[in-house]
Amino acid sequence: MRLLLIPICFFLMGCSEKLVRVMPYEREFFAQEKMLISPIDVRAEQEGHVFLIREASAGGEASFQGGCGCR
Amino acid sequence: MQVVLFLLLLLLLIPLFRLFGAEVSDKLFVGFGYYGDNGKSHVFSPIVELVKKLSREWILTVKERIDAISAASIKNGGRVFQVDSVAGASPSKQGLFQDLRSATTLSLTWTDVDNTVSFGGYFSREIDYEGKSVFLTYIRQLNLQNTALGISLSQANDRWFPRFKREGFPKSRNERKIDLSITQLWSPTLMFSFIYSDIYSYGFLPSPYHYYITKDWARFESYPNKRKASAYTLRAVKLLNERTSLNLMYRYYTDDWKIKSHTINAEVYRDVKRNFTLGFRGRLYTQTKSFFAKSIGNYKLNDPYIAIDYRMSAFSSITLGTMFIYKPKKRSLRHLKFKGSFDLYFTSNNEYIKTWYGVSNLNAIFLTFGVDYNF
Repeated sequence: MRLLLIPICFFLMGCSEKLVRVMPYEREFFAQEKMLISPIDVRAEQEGHVFLIREASAGGEASFQGGCGCR
Repeated sequence: MQVVLFLLLLLLLIPLFRLFGAEVSDKLFVGFGYYGDNGKSHVFSPIVELVKKLSREWILTVKERIDAISAASIKNGGRVFQVDSVAGASPSKQGLFQDLRSATTLSLTWTDVDNTVSFGGYFSREIDYEGKSVFLTYIRQLNLQNTALGISLSQANDRWFPRFKREGFPKSRNERKIDLSITQLWSPTLMFSFIYSDIYSYGFLPSPYHYYITKDWARFESYPNKRKASAYTLRAVKLLNERTSLNLMYRYYTDDWKIKSHTINAEVYRDVKRNFTLGFRGRLYTQTKSFFAKSIGNYKLNDPYIAIDYRMSAFSSITLGTMFIYKPKKRSLRHLKFKGSFDLYFTSNNEYIKTWYGVSNLNAIFLTFGVDYNF
C-alpha cells in the first residue's frame, strides 16, 4: 500500500505548474558534467559495489547492481 | 594472463568501433578499477561498455566487467580451542588470481522526448556463485522537463555452488528491488533528487563457508532467510559559482534485521581549466548491529542465528577521495574523455574484524580510470 501511495504522490506533484521553475534557455549549467548526480560514472559503479560488499546497507542509487558471492 | 589478453583484444577493437560508428551518440567506454585492503583482498576490474544507437528511439548497451580476485574471503581460521571462523571460498589455483568473476549486462532502451524505458538482463559467474537478474526502468519527464519521475524494478535469482558438499544446503539467494525516484530542477543552479528503495531478499543469505568454532562445538553461520529493507535518499546538486559545484547526499536505511544506517556524502567539483575538472569527496557511514549479532565468544550452540560477518555488527566508516574529468583539447583527441578517481576507505575498530582479519579495522583503497570514446 505504501508503495502505491508514493508514485501517486509523485504523479500529482508532477502535474503542478508551480514545478516549472527553470526554462529551457536557463539550463546551460545542468549540461555541465560537474552538475550531474554522478559525474564520474565509472567510480559510481565501482564504489556502489565496494560499499555493497563492505557495509550492510543498500539502495538509494537508483541504478542496477548485480549480485556476487562477496555479499 | 586472461585479463591481459582481454585488454589487448579491447585495444585492437577500438579502431573497428570507430570505423562502424556513424552516430554521435554511439560510445565505447574502456575502464579499469582496483580495490585492495589490509585484509589482503585485491580485486582488479577491467570494464568495457558499448552504447550503440540502433535507430532514433532505440539504444543498445552491452557491458562486460571482469573482477580478478585474490583472497576473496576471510583467510584466518582453523585455530583450535579458540572462537574462530573458517572460510573455504575460492581455493587457490595455479594462476595469479584465486577467482575470476565475469559479469555481462545487456540492456535495450527506448526513448522519446519525455519518456525513457529501459530493460535488460545481467549474468555473472564466478567459481562458486552465479548471478542472474532482469531489470526494467521507466522515467517520465514532466513540467517542461523540470521534473523527472522514475520507477525501476529488478529481480535477481542467484545461486551458490559451494566448493564442498554441504547437507541440506539451500543454494538460491534472491532479491527483488523497487526504486522510486523524483528529480526536480529548483533553480538554474540547483537540483534535488529523492529516491525510495524497497528491497526484499530471500533464500540463503549468509556465506556458506563461514563457521563458528569453539573447543566444544562448531556451527555454520546462520541468518534469517528473509530480509526486508527500505532506503530513503536525498541528493542536491548546487552550482556555487561558475566554476564550482557542490554535490550532497544523505541516505537513511532500515531493515527488519534491526540494522539502521546513516550515510552522508559531500563532493566538490572545480573547473581548474576549461578542459580539466578536479573533485574532492568525503563520506561518513554509520550502522547499528543486527538483532542477532552478539559479542564474539557469547554465541551458544542453541542460538537460532550466528553471525561471523562484521557487517552484522555496529561500525562506522569514513571515505576520502579525489576525482577528475579531462577532455583533451587536441583536435585529433576531441572524441576522448578521461575520468578517474582515487579513494581511501577506513572502518572503525571492530572486534569481528579483529578476530577474523587479524587487524583492528579495515583500511582500503579503491581507484578507477576510464576513457569515453565517442564515435
